[in-house]
Formats: sequence, structure tokens, C-alpha cells
Amino acid sequence: MPLSWALFASFLLAIAGYLVGRSRAFSAAGPDIRKLHSRPTYHGFLVGLAAFLPAVVVIAIASLLRMSGVIMAEAGPVVGLVALAAAVVGLGWGITRIGVDFHARNTVERIVLGILIFCSLIAIATTAGIVLSLLFETGKFFQIYDWKTFFFGTEWTPRFQGNSQLGILPLLWGTLYISLIALIVSVPIGLFAAIYMSEYASKRVRGIAKPAIEILAGIPTIVYGLFALVTVGPMLRDYFAQPMGWGNSGSSVLTAGLVMGIMLIPFVSSLSDDIINAVPQSLRDGALGLGSTPSETIRKVVLPAALPGVVGAVLLAASRAIGETMIVVLGAGASARMDLNPFEAMTTITVKIVSQLTGDSDFNSPETLVAFALGLTLFVITLVLNVVALYIVRKYREQYE
Amino acid sequence: MYDMNRVENAVSQGDIKISANDVQVYYGDKHAIKDVSVDILDKTVTAFIGPSGCGKSTFLRCINRMNDTIPIARIEGRIALDGEDIYDRRVDPVQLRAKVGMVFQKPNPFPKSIYDNVAYGPRIHGMTRNRADLDQIVEKALRGAALWNEVKDRLHEPGTGLSGGQQQRLCIARAVATEPEVLLMDEPCSALDPIATSQVEELIDQLREKYSVVIVTHSMQQAARVSQKTAFFHLGHLVEYGDTDDIFTKPQDSRTEAYISGRIG
Amino acid sequence: MTDMPMPRSGTASAAKSSLMVADANTRRRNAAEKRFRLYGATAIGVALLALVVLLFTIVRDGSGAFRQTYLAIPVQLNAEVLDPKGNRNPEEMAKVLTLSYGKVLDAAVEAAVVRENIQIQGLTEKQISGLISKEASAQVRHRVLANPDLIGQMIDVDVLANGRVDGFFKGRVSMESAANDKNTSPEQLMLAQELRDRGLMVTRFNWNFLTNPDASDQRPEAAGVGIAILGSLYMMLVVLLLAVPIGVGASIYLEEFAPKNKWTDIIEVNISNLAAVPSIVFGILGLAAFINFAGLPQSAPIVGGLVLTLMTLPTIIISTRAALKAVPPSIRDAALGVGASKMQSVFHHVLPLAMPGILTGTIIGLAQALGETAPLLLIGMVAFVKNYPAAPPEGLFDPASALPVQVYNWTQRSDPAFIERASGAIIVLLIFLFCMNLLAIYLRRKFERRW
Repeated sequence: MPLSWALFASFLLAIAGYLVGRSRAFSAAGPDIRKLHSRPTYHGFLVGLAAFLPAVVVIAIASLLRMSGVIMAEAGPVVGLVALAAAVVGLGWGITRIGVDFHARNTVERIVLGILIFCSLIAIATTAGIVLSLLFETGKFFQIYDWKTFFFGTEWTPRFQGNSQLGILPLLWGTLYISLIALIVSVPIGLFAAIYMSEYASKRVRGIAKPAIEILAGIPTIVYGLFALVTVGPMLRDYFAQPMGWGNSGSSVLTAGLVMGIMLIPFVSSLSDDIINAVPQSLRDGALGLGSTPSETIRKVVLPAALPGVVGAVLLAASRAIGETMIVVLGAGASARMDLNPFEAMTTITVKIVSQLTGDSDFNSPETLVAFALGLTLFVITLVLNVVALYIVRKYREQYE
Repeated sequence: MYDMNRVENAVSQGDIKISANDVQVYYGDKHAIKDVSVDILDKTVTAFIGPSGCGKSTFLRCINRMNDTIPIARIEGRIALDGEDIYDRRVDPVQLRAKVGMVFQKPNPFPKSIYDNVAYGPRIHGMTRNRADLDQIVEKALRGAALWNEVKDRLHEPGTGLSGGQQQRLCIARAVATEPEVLLMDEPCSALDPIATSQVEELIDQLREKYSVVIVTHSMQQAARVSQKTAFFHLGHLVEYGDTDDIFTKPQDSRTEAYISGRIG
Repeated sequence: MTDMPMPRSGTASAAKSSLMVADANTRRRNAAEKRFRLYGATAIGVALLALVVLLFTIVRDGSGAFRQTYLAIPVQLNAEVLDPKGNRNPEEMAKVLTLSYGKVLDAAVEAAVVRENIQIQGLTEKQISGLISKEASAQVRHRVLANPDLIGQMIDVDVLANGRVDGFFKGRVSMESAANDKNTSPEQLMLAQELRDRGLMVTRFNWNFLTNPDASDQRPEAAGVGIAILGSLYMMLVVLLLAVPIGVGASIYLEEFAPKNKWTDIIEVNISNLAAVPSIVFGILGLAAFINFAGLPQSAPIVGGLVLTLMTLPTIIISTRAALKAVPPSIRDAALGVGASKMQSVFHHVLPLAMPGILTGTIIGLAQALGETAPLLLIGMVAFVKNYPAAPPEGLFDPASALPVQVYNWTQRSDPAFIERASGAIIVLLIFLFCMNLLAIYLRRKFERRW
């Protein structure tokens, strides 16, 4: 890899530049070091940066050009040489600038600030990348597939030989149904757990319960997925669905919803904990001082005061549930249907994104491209939920600050 | 003004409402209240004064067991309300606090309407059978707190929208609405401007007709203006307790004198 | 005490109640209070129960992966079969396929059974040789190619037992299930039991699970997480090298230098939203941007690492900013007051003081990245990889797997023995996560500072 070698070589040049720059600055200063505007280290840093940055820029531009096909991969050695040349030129320029009056520190700090700004722009670039890649591929999809059929179609039957029915509604139904069950499980448990821990639990109980619930939050979703597949699914099937004649499927809406609910408990409880603790103690004192029991204080004063925050937390949890992938891949099944029976296997948007994009995909067929349209729909739904939720939570916080 | 109030203060005093004997309070290892014994009279305003950290607020919170909400607080000794030990095992603090109301340092109206704030206590204590009763109690309490005329047209607007002084009177109305026998006030004017303060002080003087009022204050002038009895606390001890006039004019203890003349505190 | 004469003021009503007796209303309210408490305790109980059941089932299902059954037999390495030319030339020997080694092994197993004089009715030759794994011949071939002098000798070999036999000793396979299983039979299991009673078949700790690559559908007993661990480590390396400097740099700018204006507002809102974007969307981004557009190879740790970097950046930025915010302004003022530049005050004073918080947040971000599965599925990390990737940096472009993806991969196989492997891989994953979190807690405890 000539490029990584060029990078490494210019890094060595930069280190050499640092040492040279520093010693040159020392000798420029003569016996009285205070004559220098900037300390010698800064002169060294400047020379080093002057050598390294041009090389990096050359390599970055070359990589971009190669990605967009303007230059060939074989141009690698040439690019490496150009980069090295740039490093040498930068080094020379840096050394000539050294002098008593040169504001090396200010220059270095300006460069560092530029690098910091560049870092914070990467977050923006990520969002732009997500939006662009989704929009671009979705656009391609809608050129070959009717958007009305996609958004309003009630049938999902992709076929390899073409002529697929790609309606999103059954997937959306499965997603919302599973998320609803997950919220029904997680919101009361998470909320009550938070209330109990912040208002009732003794120090010892809190010392055990709080980290334990945090462990639940640190467990990867694939683990929950396996739990759904191996334990919860068969259990629901063998003890409930089959005896009652409700269904024969191990993977079901209820399986995925239940396990996802467990996954969301710590999420809901830690958000609720923050929100409940943000309610000022003076309100609690006021209620207790009037002779409320602790539960009346919580139900009639703390929770109403915290309501907007709790709503925000529930929306964030919903957004999590809708975007969750591994639990539904392993727990919910793959058959796209719109049914009310929670013991039936159904599928979600995320499951279908995975199944359409894994394996050998032809990026010109609607069966593959539909995944991007699904991804865009998912992104928009979760984005709206997040924006609304974050807005509500922020407004709520400001109220008590 | 000082003299005028003194004349007004010469009202007949009631019987013993609360009697405390050898009360000790510990916060963890800290001994916050030491050997405090005091008899608080009915239909009287009693002021607790003293430098910050002297334990006056702590002692006040013992009287309606608000210290129960602090896990590390431990209380010894006996406090009796009408002769009944309030720390008896059989006593439910909830019932006690209905009889001994409290108003706090910072106005703390609930984020509900003015009406719901005042109706909160009567509702939880099941004091009314119907809406008309409740309306009546709310009006009476707001009149009692001298707030009715200012808010009667906007009872269903949020209580947090009122001015500071109005909020504190709302909190007093809220406490009065449960028809307590004792009203505890923890520096009720410290967050208020002078005009609001004088309104609240006026109100306290009126409340004396019906309740035993105990007020913690760091302002000696305020104690002198509103109270008939004054207790001076210092470093957890009750140093001196007596008629307000006597405390301020001929203190018995040198520490009291030092505090009143501004040398400690 | 209660019979003391009660001092009463004149207006006190006769209806005044004693504090000692709870009235009906208070009793009702206290009952409601108890119920409410019970709900809370139940919620905690349910959450804890879920955690315990989850961990219990994983350990129950997965501990088997760390033990493996081997058959210890002497094998006669027949020179005529294994080195037909007889010149011990490694290149020519390499042409001898595993099939031939299989024959040698089959003979060795049969010989062992005969030697031990085990008589079992209705046992076919195929069932006898089926005791050992299909992987065993490759195992022996490897050993012979590494040391050609072994040919013609009698060597002692611990060969992998077949997955069903292994499962029988771990309780996964029973005589009843074997009767309906075309891959094994009760007779075969009886033979295995006999061999075990005679000490030829042993079950012991399975280091190979941690070092072996994945294996095909037919041989779960040989599958391991070696490549998956390596792939995960490579990706963590990429995340560490990219996400940490970029995240810390962005946080420093936003917290210390950025002017309060519309642009920085947009960046902030953008970051908090990015933190809540579903992980699978990052997978789509990786597929579209890094693979389809930039032309990076599929299944490569570099792509996985880049995707996970973008995904963990918001987490790292948010926690780093919190750590920077916790450093009191007085420290900055003190540095500026002695004539330091803004940049110097940040890098000399604020950043070192915020370091423990930054490290803790970074480790938690890394832990999150380590357990992430969905985006990696989309960039082709599910592929079956049999060869170890090279050392970095070149190895970052070689195909590899990742621990959570390996788990997913194994859940898609038909043989139930792979569920044991998947659970075992999860145990490995959880141990890694546990250590990372322990480190984070340790750092937080050690350097915690209260201002």
C-alpha cells in the first residue's frame, strides 16, 4: 500500500520538522529566549504541521478522486510521491518562517481550531451522508416501482424473477404492533421501577437494583434476540399458544414485543428517573406538609409535574422500539401479514431491510432497492419521534432550571 | 411601628397547644438539636429566631414530622400535640400533618390551577362530599389568606403564574384549607419583596385568631412585629424562651443579648 | 399518656379526633399507599427476574461450548495411503486429500473398538466411524503436513468426537431423540458410552472454541469464535483510532470555542438526533457510501469499523461534552488570568481534568459498538470466513466476522448444536463487555472529583 507508506513517511518528516523547527527557534533567539514571540515548541509544531497536513490533504483528495473514478487505482505510487513532495515543500516553507517575531503560537492555534471545527463537521457529514444515500437510492427505486403501491400496498411478496408486490403496510403494521406491546411492557415497569428507586427504596435495595437494571441496558440486542429465539418464543408457544389453539409459531409478535419490552425497561426507567428527580423537592415537601401520603405526592403532584418529560421518554422509547432490529429478526418471524393475533409471526420494516440487503444483491432490482425506501421511511418516522421527544424533554427541563 | 405592634401584641394568650420535652435530633452523627423543651401556646404567634444553622428550622420540622422524610434524621424525646405524643407508634404522620400544616421558605405552588392548589388538601383528606362544599372551602381558605379578591376571576389559571407574594399567600391558603390546628411557617417571607412581606405579616397576625402559628425567621424585626412569644436558638440549644417584648427588651441570657444587638449571627 | 388531661382551647370542637386512632379515610389511604409501593417493588422484581432468567439461560445453553468431547486413540499413519510416492516430499503429500486421512482414521476407530472388545448389536461400520467428527481428518492431515516424519508411525491422537456424541454427553441428545435422528442412532450412543466408560472418550475444556474459525453446517463441534474475536478487535481498533480523536475534537470545539449561533445550534440538534437514529440506518449508510460508492471490500473490518465509528461518535461527543462541562469555569479563568491563551487553557487544564469522564464515556461507547449487530449484517460481515485475516493495517481489508454477527450466523443454522455455540459466543462477548464496564467503573471511582 504505497499510500499508507507515504502517510507514514510524511509523519516521520513531520517529527523531523518538529525537532528542526524547535532547535532553529532556539538558535534564532540567541542567548535571551524571551526575545521569541512564541515558545520554540510552537515553532516546532508549526513546521511539523506544515509538513504533515499538505501530505494528508493530497492523499485525501486522491482517495476521493479514485472513489469517483477520475483516477485509477494504479496511480497509487504517483499519488504517494506527490504527497511526499508536498510534505517536503511544507517543511521547507515552515523552516523559512522561523524567526524572533513570527507568531508561531497563533498560527498553530488557528490550525488546531480548524482541525477541531473539521471534527465537529463530521457529525453533520454523517447526517448528510445518511440522507443523501437514502434519498438517492430511494429515488432509483421509485423510478422503477410505483410509489403509491409501495406506500399503500397491503401485500409484501418479493420474487426473484420480478413482478414483486412491495407494499409497506404489512411491515408497518408488524412494526407498530410489536412496538406497542414493547411499550405496554416497558413503560409501566420502567416507570414504577424508577419511582420505587427514587422515592421508596432503601439505600441497600437501590445499591443492588440500580446497577442490575443498568446491566440490562448494557446487554447487546443480539443477546435479547437469542433469548427470544431460544427461550421466550418456545415457552409462549408450548404453554400458551398451542394449548389454547392460538397458533403454532415460536416466533411471534408477542415474543418480540415481550423481549423488546424487557430491553426497554432500563431505558424508560433511567429517563424517568432523571425526569422525576428534576421535579423540585419543594413541591414534594409542599404535598407532604399538607398530609399527603408519599404515593399521593407522586401520583397527584410529582407525576403531573413530570408528565411532559415522561411523554418525551415514552416517545424516545417508541423510536427505539421501531428501529430495533436484532430482536425482531430473531423473535418476530419473516412473514408479512396484517393480523390481530399476537401469537402469529409477523414482520417489521427492519427485518425486511436486513433480508433484502444481505446475501447477493443486485442494486438495480426493485427487490433490493426497496430496502432503501424502507430505510428512508424508518429514518423519517424515528426522526420525527426523536425531534418531538427531544423538544418536549428540553422544554420540560427548562421549566425547572 | 415597633411600639404600635407591641401594643397590638398584648392579646390574651391561649392554652398550651404543643409541648416539647427534652427533644434531641441527630442527622447521622451530627447532634442538631439538644435538650429542647418548650410549650407553644394556642392562638399565639411564636417566633423561632437565631443565627443560621442554629436548629430552628430543624425543630420546626419535627413538629409535623417532616424530618421523617430525611432517612438519616433521628429524633428522641417527646413532642405532644394536645397531650398526645406525635412520635407514638400509633400516630400516622399523614393524619398529623393534616392537623399541623406547613408553609415553606420558597413559595411552592403545585403546577396546577389556583383552585386545584387550594383544593388539594381537602381532596386528599376526604373533607368534602361534593363540588359545592369544595368551592366553599376554597373560597374560605383564599379569603382567609387575603387572596380571594385578587384571584377570584382566575381560579383556573395556573398557580405558578402569580407573583411571589401571591404565591406564598396561595401556599398559606393551601395549608389553611385543610383546617389545621397549628400552622408552621419556615421563613415564609425570605423569598419575598418588602411589600409582599408586609402583606404576609398582616395575614399572620390575622391567622392568630384561629390557629397556633409557629414562624421561623432570621429577621428579628419580623419576629418583633408578628409574634407574641419568641424562642431564641443557638447551636442546637433553646437558649431563651419568653414573651417577645421581654426577649427584645430585657434578655436574660448573654447570648440572646449578643444576638439581638448584632454581635453574633 | 393518653389519659392525661387534655388542654383544650375554648373554641376547639368536640368532634376533634385523637391522633392515636386512624380514621377510616386514613386507613383507606394507607392501603392505597401499600398497594402503590407493592407495584413499585413488583416492577423492580420483574426487571431483576428478567435479568436473572436471561443470564441463566445464556449460561445454561452456552457453557457447553467450552467443553468438548474427544476420542483418544492411536492412529497408524499408513505410508502407502498418505505418501504414495514414498519420498516424504511435502508438496506431493499436500496433494493427498483429507478423504484419505478419513479412511486411516476410520480404520483406527474400528481397531480401537475391536481392541476394547465392545459388542453392540446392530452397529454398522459407518456408525462406528461416525463417532468422530468430519473435521478430525483435517486435524490429522494438518499435523502430518507439519511434520512429515510422522508417516509410517503409530501416533496418539485426540480426535474431535461427532457433534451428536458430544451433545449426548452434555445432555443435549438423548436416546429417544437419537432414535428419530438420521445423523445418529441409539446404538452409536451406546458405543460412545462404552468408550467413555473405558476412558477413551473424554470431555474436557475446549480452548479451540476461542481460537478456531467458523465451521460448516455439518461440523458444529469444530466451530469457534477465533476469527470473530479477531474481527471484533480490529473493528474496535478502527473505532478507537477514529472515533476518540474526532469525538473529543468535536466536543472541545462545541463546548469551548463554538460561538452560540444558528450553526452550532444545528450541529447540536443534529448530534442528539444522530444518537437516536436506529443502528440499521448506519448499516445502510455503510453499504451505500463505503461499499457501493467508495468501493471498499465487503466483510472487511475497516468498513465495519467506519460504520461503528459514525455510530458511536454521538455517544462519545455527548459524554465528552458532559465531562468538559463539569470542569468549573474558575479553572479556565485561572489559566487565562496568568496569560495562557484560550487554546492553552483548554489543552493544559480543562482537558486533563475532564479525562476520566471522557475515558469512561469512550469505553461505554466502545462497549456499545462491540455489541452492535444490525449494521454489520448489511455490510456483508455475515459471510462464512475460514481464513484468519492478516495483521493490521492490511488485515483490516481482509474478510472477517464479528462476535455478535457470528452469534446471528449460528442461529440461522439448522443443527441445534449451533445454539450452544451461539450462546457460548455470547458468553465470550458478555465477558468482554463486563471487563470494559468494570474498567469504566474503576476509572470513574478512581478519578471521581467533586467540585
